[in-house]
Amino acid sequence: MNRTVLYDEHLALNAKMVDFAGWEMPVQYTGIKDETLAVREAQGMFDVSHMGEIRVSGSGSGKFLDYVLSRKISHRNPELTNYAFLCYADGGVVDDLMVYQLGTEDYWLVVNAANTDKDFAYLQELLTKYDRKNEISIINETANYGLIAIQGTGSLTPTLKALSPIYPDLNISKRVEDLKRFRQVSFSLDDKHLVVSRTGYTGEDGYEVYLPVADTIKFWQNLLKENIRPCGLGARDALRLEAGLPLYGHELSSEINPLEAGLDKFVELERDFVGKAMANKQHRKLIALISEDKSIPRDGYPVFIQDQEIGFVTSGSFSPTLNKGIAFALVTADLAEDITEVEIAIRRKKHTYKITSTPFV
Amino acid sequence: MADYRDDRYYVDSHEWILLDGDTATIGISDFAQEELGDIVYVEVDSVGENLEKGEIFGSVESVKVASDLYMPVDGEVLEFNADLEEKPELINEDAYAAWIIKIKVSDSAQIEDLLDAKKYQDIAE
Repeated sequence: MNRTVLYDEHLALNAKMVDFAGWEMPVQYTGIKDETLAVREAQGMFDVSHMGEIRVSGSGSGKFLDYVLSRKISHRNPELTNYAFLCYADGGVVDDLMVYQLGTEDYWLVVNAANTDKDFAYLQELLTKYDRKNEISIINETANYGLIAIQGTGSLTPTLKALSPIYPDLNISKRVEDLKRFRQVSFSLDDKHLVVSRTGYTGEDGYEVYLPVADTIKFWQNLLKENIRPCGLGARDALRLEAGLPLYGHELSSEINPLEAGLDKFVELERDFVGKAMANKQHRKLIALISEDKSIPRDGYPVFIQDQEIGFVTSGSFSPTLNKGIAFALVTADLAEDITEVEIAIRRKKHTYKITSTPFV
Repeated sequence: MADYRDDRYYVDSHEWILLDGDTATIGISDFAQEELGDIVYVEVDSVGENLEKGEIFGSVESVKVASDLYMPVDGEVLEFNADLEEKPELINEDAYAAWIIKIKVSDSAQIEDLLDAKKYQDIAE
């Protein structure tokens, strides 16, 4: 089992540890409810060092990424963090990821922990068929970096207070203070990078800080001194669902393409890329559902209109912020036109769920 | 560290049963509530039914998971603890005070098959 550099910190905080995609990770420290609410009402932090960083660099790497990803990355403002899909030829999703530009022809793909090895192998395979393969290198840098997400309104000050003392020679504050949402700054350290982006997976304002493994424990401990609440993967999942954000393996998979998941705006169908064929397969659609009673929908529960089964729940949970059951469901598009509610079968009964818009909160 | 009480019996599906003459109250163990985390909903729709040992009498849901509740012995479900409708978190606060259902035990001979606190602790951990 893999462990992040913060493993002992989690144990010291009495975290409940679980196996997540081969990583021993904290699912909660005190409780999913209060950790979720801490992020909504104050700030919380997450060890997400298990996420993968795959570096693609060398002459032509921008064009290579344009070809393998659902968006043309190479011409975008290099300060932007870019959400995009890596797809199979039929449009099924290998992974959803964030692209960071670290320098000229130097990119990071930040990928789901469960998919890092699969993505790396797939990119290598695509590269061997690519005509400029000798100039491009693909390196898995996951083991070199820690990643801590600080989330919640007001995250800037504690993040800077915790980070600046570790890098007294870098002028971090000014550049991070000026950072707008969905943008990043990177700083060169000897042979590594410090990357700060104003991004996250909670629907709240906040920052994600990528730093060398050797500095990660100090940063975490400094954040604890700033009274930032440690939050586990349980709260992270509740927060992302409340924010209406997809999770690979649930709303996206080799069987569920980005168009079905309603993520058209991150797909540029007018150009050529691996997976463009997804346009031919769009018979299902994702809908957002909220409970009318106290029931809680769970992954895989069937969804009905009258007695016809039209799909299934892809992610379902209790929302600590709304105190209600919320879910995403993938349903047959034709059968879900002009409807305002469906039923979800939960154990022995069917419960009415209203179709709503995201974010849920 | 979970708490185990030796005033009652347990089953390996993590319910406890506290006997009082021919009636009994049933809840879930402290170990089970710790494993589930924040409990946000308890559903019992079996009041008035005669259920056999091992049959589902309801479910308890945390933020993350739903978990079925099983009868430790045969019996008639007499009552659901109404406090849990509004405050399911009472189970997290004290799993042994927060009984879920009250039953009429139909076959007291089944008591012998139940686990005592020590045996249950060995199984749970």
